Amino acid sequence: MALRETAWRETAAEILAALQEERGSGERAATYLLSPYGSRMSRVLIAGNLSPPESIGRNPAQPFWRSRLTDPTGTVAVTAGGFQPRAMAQLRAITTSQPALVAGKVHLYRGNDGTGYVSIRAEALRPLDEGQLRVALLDELSQSLDRLELVERLRKEPMTPDAGLRAEGIGAVGLRAAREAIRRYPSIDRSAFRAILKLLLPAIEGRAPVVSAAPGIPATVRVTRVEVPAPRRREAPSASERANESAFLDVMDELADGSMDGYADYRELRQRLAERGLSEEAAETILARLQDDGVVEEPIMGRLRRASALTDG
Amino acid sequence: MTEVTEPASPTDTRLRDLRPTDAPVQILGRVVTVERREYANAADGRRRTFLSGLLSDGTATVRFTWWEPPAEGVDRGTVLRAVNAQVREFRGRPEVSFGYRTRVAPASELELPPIDGDDIPLRKIHELGVSDEGFRLEGRVVRISPRTVTVGTEQRAIYEGLLADRSGSIAFTSWSDFALQAGQTVRIAGGYVRMFRNRPQLNLDERSVVARIEGGDLPQPAEVLSTPSRPIAEIEEAGGGESIALEGVILGLLPPSGLVYRCPTCRRAVAGGICPTHGAVQGVADLRGRFVVDDGSGSATVNAAREGTERLWGLSLEGALARLRDTPDPTRLEEQLFEATFGTHVRVRGRASRDDFGLTVYPESIERVTIEVPTRARELAARLGS
Repeated sequence: MALRETAWRETAAEILAALQEERGSGERAATYLLSPYGSRMSRVLIAGNLSPPESIGRNPAQPFWRSRLTDPTGTVAVTAGGFQPRAMAQLRAITTSQPALVAGKVHLYRGNDGTGYVSIRAEALRPLDEGQLRVALLDELSQSLDRLELVERLRKEPMTPDAGLRAEGIGAVGLRAAREAIRRYPSIDRSAFRAILKLLLPAIEGRAPVVSAAPGIPATVRVTRVEVPAPRRREAPSASERANESAFLDVMDELADGSMDGYADYRELRQRLAERGLSEEAAETILARLQDDGVVEEPIMGRLRRASALTDG
Repeated sequence: MTEVTEPASPTDTRLRDLRPTDAPVQILGRVVTVERREYANAADGRRRTFLSGLLSDGTATVRFTWWEPPAEGVDRGTVLRAVNAQVREFRGRPEVSFGYRTRVAPASELELPPIDGDDIPLRKIHELGVSDEGFRLEGRVVRISPRTVTVGTEQRAIYEGLLADRSGSIAFTSWSDFALQAGQTVRIAGGYVRMFRNRPQLNLDERSVVARIEGGDLPQPAEVLSTPSRPIAEIEEAGGGESIALEGVILGLLPPSGLVYRCPTCRRAVAGGICPTHGAVQGVADLRGRFVVDDGSGSATVNAAREGTERLWGLSLEGALARLRDTPDPTRLEEQLFEATFGTHVRVRGRASRDDFGLTVYPESIERVTIEVPTRARELAARLGS
């Protein structure tokens, strides 16, 4: 979609709980992060206490800065680099920990061992005064609760037709995200989520300052083990699936060998596979399987290579 | 046009009812546009002329092709009756062609079907679509204002306004003066709908009939102009609207924003001192802001003019020009505008249209909103439960 991504109002807890990705379709597709609360986010808007940034860039020609944003539900990393000059300048202007509003894209980095690291790549930010912070947190709570209530309802009445829900004024985007969240997180216990959202209330009502209810998270990012996506046991691949897998790998190796940086471009790969009669969907499935098996990795969006530590498939 | 006028016969097919058929039809219509064209005959290679244009009888408009037309041609506005015309379909719409078997003759205006007859369907505004015609409509004039436009070399006075019923509202342009006033309730016949700036627009001309009516369940102008805010996604799905309101947070600023220069004649933005219409001009400084407003359901581009931009920025055009003298870098001004407005809650009211880039709003008003935190916090606390 060429349209601008809507900014989802998020709490730190929800962003940190989002460990499932979905690639959009079409040219320059965005990658969405799905949360168990029912978000399908690319761009987010979040408020909290922002710490002064530290430089984490190794190359002085490519500056990269990172701060911690703490709201009553948790702490999430906020980064900005040379590709976000405006946000980087605004981030560097934060010299003492203070309330701020951050708009940015969520980013999930997944290490070889399956550990997920979620951060926000800032596009713009600004310091907030107390009143503005309360308004921003109110907005977050209100929209997060809307999402959660929709997910809870769809869990209870999964067969409710979309048309009926749409007629009630529930947006198509939110509905799609809620259904996907239920599918991706089938066994997660959502009973704690209301209690987590409730942590925002004292700050909104002005009864308490914005501090994390979960103190003692010293790391700039929280590291969460990714749970195995779904309990459904994968069947052993059939002979034709095996053949498609090896075709996938052959083409990928060929493209990687021919490219400057040693990565295969995923779009080109898909195109080549389509010429061999392999549908986009099938390619996506194979890629997911190979990534799960640790055969292929995608350290940069849309760029594939053989995983550095090969596991025996 | 050698034949004498045929007597009015009950076998005229209304243009609205034309369907592609092998049987010849008899139709009646006014020539709306016509042009003379040529083609090379495949058999002898000689060039022949034919006429092509649009015919309308008030119920619909169809394209016509007239092979071997009379040498003197036909004038715009002439009413023609064609007997034994062929109907074909082109791109899903019927077209008529007049061949050697067709007899075409002038007819009287009086023979055209009445455009405000009871058999003409009475439609609701939200049902109107692109290139609709042959309908009647009851609505209230929400507002109207005169304007002068240049058509070719001619200056014409037109009236632009907004018409509403309970189902929605539609912008209209009247090419003749029906002495309409805001607040009046009217029944309109003989109008047609065209897309204008990505929104349907009702067009009225000298052939349209406008009658004042009494009563009817029609909204008051104030109701139409003060509709409550709706989610952006909902407005976008509806394709925009003539009078919408939305609330959201400013999250972006699109170029060109801040200080811009406009042509003193046509007010279009000038680039490099060149106006696209008037050539080299001395641009006049102006402020504008193309704000991205996001409410969590969707986002819209709000094209604020000088007044709205000044109000949100808290800086006047003179102030901006003074800053420019201190720091001669216009991009710095744009950045300052963004910094001053990022994260601001605003309520926007105006006209919205949708295109490939999403929803664009041309605001009549844009203002900061104050959120009632304690009230809403109590509601949320109740929803969260204890």
